Amino acid sequence: MNRFHLIRRSDVSIWKKLLYYLIGIVFSLLLGGVFLKSLGINPLRYYRDMATIGLIGNYYPAKSVEGLLKLFVPLLITSLALSLSFKMRFWNIGGEGEFITGAIFAAIVAFKLGDSLPGPVVILLMCIAAFISAGVIGFLTAHLRVRFNTNETLVTLMINYIMLYIIKYIGETKADWNFFLRTDSERPMFAKFPDAAIMKGIKIGSFNLLYSVIIALLIAVVVYIYLRSTKHGYEVAVVGDSVNTAKYSGINVYFITVRTVFLSAAMIGLAGAFTAASSGTISTDITNNVGWTGVIVAWLSKLSTPVICIVSLLISVLQYGCQAASASYSQIDHNFADLMQGIFLFAILAADFAVNFKVVRTGSKKDA
Amino acid sequence: MKKLLSLIVASVVMCAALLTGCAGAEGSDSNGGSSSDGDFIVGAIYINSQNDTAGYTYAHHQGITKAMEALGLSTESNLKIIDNVPEDDEQVRTAIEQLAGQGCNIIFGISFGYLNAFAEAAEEYPEIVFCHATGYLSNDTNFNNYFGRIYQARYLAGIAAGYKSLEIGNNNIGYVSAWGTEYAETCSGINAFALGAIAVNPDAVVHVNQISTWGDQELERQAAEVLISSYGCGVIAQHCDSAQPQIVAQEQGVFGCGYNSDMASDAPDAHLTAPVWNWNVFYQLAMETAMNEDSASDFISNIGGNYYGGLTEGMVDISPLTANNAPEAAEAIELARDLMVSGQWDVFSGTALVFSGDAGSVSVEQVPAALMDNEGNEIVAAGGASVDDGVIQGSMNYYVEGVIAES
Repeated sequence: MNRFHLIRRSDVSIWKKLLYYLIGIVFSLLLGGVFLKSLGINPLRYYRDMATIGLIGNYYPAKSVEGLLKLFVPLLITSLALSLSFKMRFWNIGGEGEFITGAIFAAIVAFKLGDSLPGPVVILLMCIAAFISAGVIGFLTAHLRVRFNTNETLVTLMINYIMLYIIKYIGETKADWNFFLRTDSERPMFAKFPDAAIMKGIKIGSFNLLYSVIIALLIAVVVYIYLRSTKHGYEVAVVGDSVNTAKYSGINVYFITVRTVFLSAAMIGLAGAFTAASSGTISTDITNNVGWTGVIVAWLSKLSTPVICIVSLLISVLQYGCQAASASYSQIDHNFADLMQGIFLFAILAADFAVNFKVVRTGSKKDA
Repeated sequence: MKKLLSLIVASVVMCAALLTGCAGAEGSDSNGGSSSDGDFIVGAIYINSQNDTAGYTYAHHQGITKAMEALGLSTESNLKIIDNVPEDDEQVRTAIEQLAGQGCNIIFGISFGYLNAFAEAAEEYPEIVFCHATGYLSNDTNFNNYFGRIYQARYLAGIAAGYKSLEIGNNNIGYVSAWGTEYAETCSGINAFALGAIAVNPDAVVHVNQISTWGDQELERQAAEVLISSYGCGVIAQHCDSAQPQIVAQEQGVFGCGYNSDMASDAPDAHLTAPVWNWNVFYQLAMETAMNEDSASDFISNIGGNYYGGLTEGMVDISPLTANNAPEAAEAIELARDLMVSGQWDVFSGTALVFSGDAGSVSVEQVPAALMDNEGNEIVAAGGASVDDGVIQGSMNYYVEGVIAES
């Protein structure tokens, strides 16, 4: 009888790793190409449109880049935030819920103060409200985990649904108290923020560079330094490696856990505030699934901050590019774009597996 | 390592094969992303997929492709679609920007929640025509909204249901509705259907079971089951997305009126008729108007503002009556249809239609009768004009006499 088991590889060169990933990507392109061909579409043209996010022959190229960045910013911040808590082996999969929390509280500030305060102040207050409100959610889940040893995966998962149903309730309930909704609409519908609460950007020709893009990149730098070169970052790593070691060396595990998860959740809330402020309103679909995609990004990147920046950009290109390319072909719908993304991610994860493990066959008679 | 090398070689060969295959097809490829200048490009933003086989997006996609074919536009190279766009301003805006970037001359958005983004985009892209279904915003140049008087078709379906209830001797008619008085769209449909049923069976009662969501097949199914088991309904009408209520009617041996598309194939022994949309009527008009004008800013003055076609324009209708119908239904429906098409009468007026006579000699009489809501308030005095404006502008928020909200 033959047995198989997995052995972790540790000596794979960077070139070989890249080669594996390349094979994964080529494989997924080929597989997608077969599908496209069977639908009567030229795969090369489709991939060209996808990789160039539809910029070729585009009447408004600046808009396409802005659209890409609007996908990139929340994904980047969320992935960075998740990497923070993952590093501590705190499985925060409540990104969706924390994002919505941030967006709701940002919206409250926008609707209540947007008319009376100047723009930058309103947006700053929106960010602070989002940061704190989502952070509190993070604090509660961390507190439950350290004090009562609850399973944080389940708790954070449930947060997603609670927040999703809360925003749905707000969005679908017409009532006097509900200042979130348009007053002129018979059907419940989220209102637009006052002008002061809508994020502006720096105009570069016809291109509008939102401040959130700059801030997101700054956050990436800060997270990089924080995890790499500060005492906090070290404490996070120690708690992640072994709670007992941390306790033995005199680290306050409760405090570190709570602080880190607060920051992680608060940053995701901030991403929610940015998205709300740039779109000028909120909706039940405001997260665009970044809470989930962010987990994949953080994981694919092995929690390395620079890699997270690259991977979240690539995933954004993939998402935006798929939509841009599919627009040109009336028979290609969103489901196909999802399928392509799935094939890509699956192939890359498979390559990742091949890089890290090898399958060894142990014949029970020979080796046992 | 050897295995690895052979893998790479294999994939390179496959790649090359695919490339040459594509290069060969390049010349005859008509699906290109770009098209020559002067071509009229249609953009569409859908809430579901264009590859659906039934339902709301399907109906719109059929309408758009039918209209394009009638106008000689290619549905491959001249139609750009972004589908599965949720009702989120940012995502709708992104979709509009992508379509604008692809050179669309006219952009249709089919879901109510696209409202804000469409209103903004109309200002930002004055050279593109924007049309938004089911909304209420518009401007004076390049942005209108469109919908139809589906309530007229629902009245006709109500007649069919009313005759059926007389035939089977059961005055309880069930109505599975996604929403109730919250939305004028659902509310007016229920009212029109009830008025149609009562016009032929004055004792008919319409039990409304509201599920408070769109697109939940399981709830739609359960709602129909409750209407039959708890309220003893013998006819099940619906204003929801799937054919589940009709399938339940079929299973339980009662009758039903579908919606959106002819559901006779889903429930062959139960289905009477379904109010249906002919969206292509508007789409063709809008495309023709936009194609023939020099500037997008003339669109509104050329098309005459917002569009609400009814039976007269052919924008709404009912699917062919099945053999399950009572014998009088066809004649009575024809009579009512003629009155609406000719503009002599409309549903929400202070005049009621009263049908009498057996099959072969059905006649209709117009009788002044106040339109009352089910709490006893008078909406329109006897003989008064129709309040169909309330349907169009979305202010109808009451049920008429004979309707009972059960949930």
